[in-house]
Amino acid sequence: MSDETSTPQKRGPIKSPVGSVAVQRRREHAVMVGKERREALMRTKRLCRVGVSSENADVPVEDDMMMDEEQSVLEDQTLKAVEELKHAIGYQGKGAMQKRVGALRELRRLLSKSEYPPVEAALKAGVMPTLVQFLSFGSPDEQLLEAAWCLTNIAAGKPEETKALLPALPLIIAHMGEKSSLPVAEQCAWALGNVAGEGEEMRNVLLSQGALQPLARMMLPNKGSTVRTAAWALSNLIKGPDPKAATDLIRIDGVLDAILRHLKRGDEELATEVAWVVVYLTALSNFATSMLAKSDLLQIIVDRLASSNSLQLLIPLLRGLGNLVAGDSYITNNVLVAGREITVNVIQALIKCLKSEHRVLKKESAWVLSNIAAGSVEHKKIIHSSEAVSLLMRLLSTGPFDIRKEVAYVLGNLCVAPAEGSGRPNLIVEHLVSLVGGGCLVGFIDLVRSADTEAARLGLQFLELVLRGMPNGEGQKLVEAEDGIDAMERFQFHENEDLRNMANELVDKYFGEDYGLDS
Amino acid sequence: MVMDVEETGTGLKFPYWNPLRRRFAPDAPFFAAGSIERELLAKQVALDLTEEEKQQIREGVEDWGSSEVFCQIVGCGAYLKSLEDFEDHYNARHMASCSVCSRVYPTSRLLSIHVSEAHDSFFQAKVARGYAMYECLVEGCDAKLKSYKSRHQHLVDKHKFPPSFEFFKKAKPSKRQRQKVLRKQALHKTENASTEMQVEQENIDNLVSAVSRLSTSDSPSSISFGRRHTRGLAFVPRAIQKERRPDPSPEQMKR
Repeated sequence: MSDETSTPQKRGPIKSPVGSVAVQRRREHAVMVGKERREALMRTKRLCRVGVSSENADVPVEDDMMMDEEQSVLEDQTLKAVEELKHAIGYQGKGAMQKRVGALRELRRLLSKSEYPPVEAALKAGVMPTLVQFLSFGSPDEQLLEAAWCLTNIAAGKPEETKALLPALPLIIAHMGEKSSLPVAEQCAWALGNVAGEGEEMRNVLLSQGALQPLARMMLPNKGSTVRTAAWALSNLIKGPDPKAATDLIRIDGVLDAILRHLKRGDEELATEVAWVVVYLTALSNFATSMLAKSDLLQIIVDRLASSNSLQLLIPLLRGLGNLVAGDSYITNNVLVAGREITVNVIQALIKCLKSEHRVLKKESAWVLSNIAAGSVEHKKIIHSSEAVSLLMRLLSTGPFDIRKEVAYVLGNLCVAPAEGSGRPNLIVEHLVSLVGGGCLVGFIDLVRSADTEAARLGLQFLELVLRGMPNGEGQKLVEAEDGIDAMERFQFHENEDLRNMANELVDKYFGEDYGLDS
Repeated sequence: MVMDVEETGTGLKFPYWNPLRRRFAPDAPFFAAGSIERELLAKQVALDLTEEEKQQIREGVEDWGSSEVFCQIVGCGAYLKSLEDFEDHYNARHMASCSVCSRVYPTSRLLSIHVSEAHDSFFQAKVARGYAMYECLVEGCDAKLKSYKSRHQHLVDKHKFPPSFEFFKKAKPSKRQRQKVLRKQALHKTENASTEMQVEQENIDNLVSAVSRLSTSDSPSSISFGRRHTRGLAFVPRAIQKERRPDPSPEQMKR
């Protein structure tokens, strides 16, 4: 299939193929091939809840589960198809290519009918070495595409099935090269994404075989489904826990720019995949976080948070934002400066998430706020004077437990200035008074009563602030009024030494023998 | 969480509230609730299209207009459904093929490695003298090995390639190919490289000159034959336009 000729003479002008019989036949065949290929090229990626293991009782047993009979018929057909495939390898001469592609296509169809393809049957029949053969360099595109498609679906199931792709991996990676046709490259990226999604071990294999570079390159163009598939596969590939891949990725030429571009202008589906890439980059790699912190990413995330209503997109955007704030002090120190528009925008975006109905958005936006509130006094003032406080107070009394914990972090952080040196951090009395006045004490005492160690600790720490910092000794009266003493005394013989000591110290210091004598 | 412990004169060791930024690893339990749906997408099956989707595609294709193309490169004649595909196809098939043995590779780098190892006598001479000439196939790893076998071992050991992987497969040449090779060897010993290049160049020239004769349409104006980075191929070379016929055959998609 190359332009190699045996005669080096000058070629005439481009000839028309119309008229000759062989060409006519080729044309008809090409039309048929083109039709299938059009569909193959434009197919949409469909969700498959294959990640749930078979032992999990939550697997819905609905009509999509095939009946046993149907399944065994499918398996028989699969066995036949694999045998046919093995024979097809050896075909030579005229029509060999069509026969090979036809056999592949037959198998591919069997593997693409339902969300539970007969993978085990195919593997048992020995399909893998044959599929690897079909991936040889120089094979026609149709063949590569069908083979990669089969491999994609084989890799979409159980761990041992995904691992069965090991012999094919170097070829799959190679066919994502810049000279490959786009549909082939995309299908390979898809297969690779499934393998990477299997686990750390598979990721390491892929990375050591050089998968990162070609995949990253596929994410650079502006449009096409390939970009989205590549971004999804990358999010699987770099998810760690080893941070090296994340660091390597951000270093590749053009990647940072592509990430910003797609988040800014990509449609919601593309932006979602890229947002997850950002989540892993910022959660794993300090280098990447630092680079991203200094770019326009924050503004882009904030704008997208404000304009989108897709939960699928909001979650990774928010988390990326949270990771940026948590991971690099550059953001809070240099970007979110008081008075700047970006600072206002960030708070607004977080408030939008706090107001959302979705638990995850509420919890994680509270987390981000707690990190901003851990910043300078200026930051605390900005948050304290915003709409966020009333929302947080409400969540503290009515929200689910995990959200209440995060809210506690925000409120407590608002009341304490950054520590100077190794001394005890100073109170911001004004904030403490206002929050306690708003009725948050009850919520904190509830946390003290909870079974969760971390929550109880938070509660006790906040009580200490109240007891120490409320003017005119009001703190003691307030704590007592809300049954705080009782809550603390429960720790007297508690098994957790830490909590026991904390509670006892507070009771001894503030509710000791002298308490109540002069009131 | 780091706890700040202060020791006052009274011996109080209370861990006072200290505002600290909290960071979590991506797989931390903290993020679990938000990751549930995402974890379900860790693997995705590629399903066949439903009838509905096929219908959508048929309708969608109409927007592009009829842009099916037959590749005009001699020996190829591939059918491409759109100009984008043509460009894809051209890049894939006619740009990274070995001019000596016509093997095709998915990247220029692999092609050049192949050419050195399989067709370059200078390469072989250096190998014979003990130089480490066989490059590692993984981009970014600059290792060089002394033999094909040791390079293979390096791939298996360092990069976890399966032992069954074979970079250079000795294909059994067809009769036609063998004859070609013999003819070439006999007649065009030294002119090989330049001849192939010339043919290649001529193909490009013909196509490009066809392009320059064409009439503009209402599409954007960038040509990118033989280049990968833009998808701007929009002009239809007149020579290729001639081939397009509304094919009335039943297998053809409805337009």
